[in-house]
Amino acid sequence: MHPQLMLLLELQDLRAQHRELEEGAGLDIEAGTFNIDVERAAAQLQEKIAELEEGLSPPMRSRYERVMQSLGRVVVPVINGVCYGCFVSIATARAGEQDPNQALTSCEHCGRFIYILP
Amino acid sequence: MKLRELFTANVVSLDLESETKDGLLKELISLLQLDEKSEAILFKTLKRRENLGSTGIGKGIAIPHCRSLVVNRLRLAYGRKPAGVDFKAIDGQPVYNFFLIVAPPLEVSNQYLPVLGKIAQFAKDPVVPERLQEIESADAFLALLEEKAP
Repeated sequence: MHPQLMLLLELQDLRAQHRELEEGAGLDIEAGTFNIDVERAAAQLQEKIAELEEGLSPPMRSRYERVMQSLGRVVVPVINGVCYGCFVSIATARAGEQDPNQALTSCEHCGRFIYILP
Repeated sequence: MKLRELFTANVVSLDLESETKDGLLKELISLLQLDEKSEAILFKTLKRRENLGSTGIGKGIAIPHCRSLVVNRLRLAYGRKPAGVDFKAIDGQPVYNFFLIVAPPLEVSNQYLPVLGKIAQFAKDPVVPERLQEIESADAFLALLEEKAP
């Protein structure tokens, strides 16, 4: 897997975790069942997100910020050839390729980075 | 959705071997049979969740959980460590039973939080911790889910 893609996946997972603490049922469960100090946890996650973002190369960082501002999610899975950002079928198969995530690629339709799920 | 329908025998391990929190998380993740890179990412995400506060909810039960892009649908696993392990649980007691829940960031069926809630509810049933200690097969675990989380 491309190292920058791995970093993008980690960032996206952290952002999902952060969103879960913001409102609704996720917040209720984390605070009620797991006794999480929600404010402290959200700040801790934000700090980690900022730290990981530092690991993005400068061109990647600027593209990451641009995509996030315009589209929200920066990296999306591709499942059965469908981009889960824009739900359009895209060509992902490359002959002889063992790890389809070795290269860092984007959806040709929506521009989000893609992670090809087996 | 019944909890029983979300588990299969191959994601149940009644004899987890690890002695540490990290080791147990890795063993649980391995039940999902992901590729190596996905396992590594998932481990980091679960660890980061644990760093916010333990998912050990007391009475010997922990529910490590997170959303992650490395899965394409809701995935669950159950593991038991008969000797127990220090998981920094809320009550400070060892944890014996582990329910792993992982969901993609976006789910069409939106099951993640309801399932998390259902497992927490199942775990809070006063007889469940003891019954979990007694089960001798994956099928018995599935039957207990059927009985206690209809």
